Amino acid sequence: MVKLKGYIVMLGWVLLSAPASASSVCATDDLGDEVCLARPAERIAALSPGATELVWAAGAGDQVVAVVAYSDYPPAAKEVTSVGSHTRMDMERLLQLQPDLVIGWVTGNPTEQLATLKELGIPVFSIEPRSFEAVSHTIERLSVLAGTEAEGFAEAERFRQGIAGLRAQFAESKPVPVFYQVWDEPLMTVNNDHLIGEMIQLCAGDNVFGHLERLVPRISTEAVVAANPEAILAGGMGEENRHWLTRWRNFPGLTAAARDNLFFIPPSLVQRPTPRMLEGTRLFCDKLEVARARRP
Amino acid sequence: MIRPITLPLSLLALASVLAMVISVGVGSVAITPMEILSVFLGDGADLQRTLVLELRLPRTLSAFATGGLLAVAGALMQVLLRNPLADPYVLGLSGGAAVGALLAMLAGLGGVIVSGSAFAGAMLATLMVFGLAHGTGSWTPSRLLLTGVVVAAGWGAVITLMLAISPARELPGMLYWLMGDVSYARSPWPGLGLLLIVCFIVAPLGRSLNVLARGPMQAAALGISVRPLEWLIYILASLLTATAVTMAGSIGFVGLVIPHMLRMVLGNDQRLILPACALAGGTLLVLADSLARIVIAPEQLPVGVITALLGVPTFLYLLYRSR
Repeated sequence: MVKLKGYIVMLGWVLLSAPASASSVCATDDLGDEVCLARPAERIAALSPGATELVWAAGAGDQVVAVVAYSDYPPAAKEVTSVGSHTRMDMERLLQLQPDLVIGWVTGNPTEQLATLKELGIPVFSIEPRSFEAVSHTIERLSVLAGTEAEGFAEAERFRQGIAGLRAQFAESKPVPVFYQVWDEPLMTVNNDHLIGEMIQLCAGDNVFGHLERLVPRISTEAVVAANPEAILAGGMGEENRHWLTRWRNFPGLTAAARDNLFFIPPSLVQRPTPRMLEGTRLFCDKLEVARARRP
Repeated sequence: MIRPITLPLSLLALASVLAMVISVGVGSVAITPMEILSVFLGDGADLQRTLVLELRLPRTLSAFATGGLLAVAGALMQVLLRNPLADPYVLGLSGGAAVGALLAMLAGLGGVIVSGSAFAGAMLATLMVFGLAHGTGSWTPSRLLLTGVVVAAGWGAVITLMLAISPARELPGMLYWLMGDVSYARSPWPGLGLLLIVCFIVAPLGRSLNVLARGPMQAAALGISVRPLEWLIYILASLLTATAVTMAGSIGFVGLVIPHMLRMVLGNDQRLILPACALAGGTLLVLADSLARIVIAPEQLPVGVITALLGVPTFLYLLYRSR
């Protein structure tokens, strides 16, 4: 009798677990939590513009059912239903879309709302890539959860190889003192720990404010003049707005202004941790090469 | 004597219930009243059950609790200081709470720790203001008010400093917290429980509070032990504010405006005003939060914006009409 009971229990165990484990997928998110899905996600909600790009890069764009404001890349993302901004989501609309996987943003989304989603039994995978390698690793993990490993791993490798290629190409180049302007009023830059700082270093740029303590330091115009960078790179609001650079023409004593090394970099290529950073880094490196060529 | 109190309170209670029905009834996902009814009868589709029972109802109750707590805290402060400008925010309680919460956010902590830190900040602010207002001399309402205002200005400077030096990525969360938002509330029960308890504590004190509102000399002459009563009011008001701020960030304006509005309409009888504040404050915030959720959906507005936009014209109208 006991044996029979054990047998039934075992049989039940096998019947219940076998189909699930055969197709279940797991990945560890940037909070260190392991997220497991019984089957690859089919309805993904991406709660930051960066997450949207990364899910598309992982080859799972077709599975995205919800995005947040400013999710403008790839263009197909604009067609997906928005559930508010990344700082305050419309929870009703999000739940109505019945996602089976939510991609959260560690420091961008309200932790309270992510906790509510978890309580309601929706798997939340929180990401925040802070290095080149993390971008590739994130794409790989997302593709595992979405069941699109072939595309995801290929894209992650393409990015990895691209960055490695640039790194090798500029390893021996002469350093160029650089100032990168994130914002105009107030004047803000990045230090060496920031991803943009890493991009500058990779192109053999020497970030004049790289040693500062804060990730995104606020600085004065005087500090820039005193540091006298050889090139100034600026983002700006929108993709074609170059007026942030014109202020530096008032300082002819600045090497960057004297040699006209004032370069515009489209912010969307460098300010989101996505594969488009490869294009942005290439642009950085090209501009610094121009600056090197203008040396007397 | 019973009737003049019962009628306004019944009307306000009715308004609260109506506001809650509206709040549970509206949202960015359309659910018909019949479907909501069937959810409450234990029926209905899974999605509708989740939306109504897990999102709308807790949020509505949180909004009600937060509004009620703030309005009662404001009414108590105004009695204590005999100054129409008194409100928990003017006295630096919310500033202390905000500094506590922002410190926790700066340290990269979230959720419960931010709430706990906000609570600690509010209580620290309370002790500071009360301790400093005592000073070496005597303790007067105007001295307490001035101390509170100056301490509040100090907190304001600390908040600005923290915003200026905090990493850019933490900024949006901090700014939204400072604007106040009920969507951050996790559970309505501590707030609702406290609101109920405080109403029971202050109910028997109504007569004493009425006398105190006329001045401490008269109160003392009429046999009321003024100092313990003042301490009790101050501690209760701080506890109420700290709980409200912990639930939904710093939502200004409710504590200042609701008690004044009610006084203009109902007269200055604390036995009536305090429970009326709990109901009216809750109602205002529930309505404001419903609007905040749907006005520009799917984008969500901070509820503090709506309370001010609803409350300011109403208040100015009542002020204009009053003599």
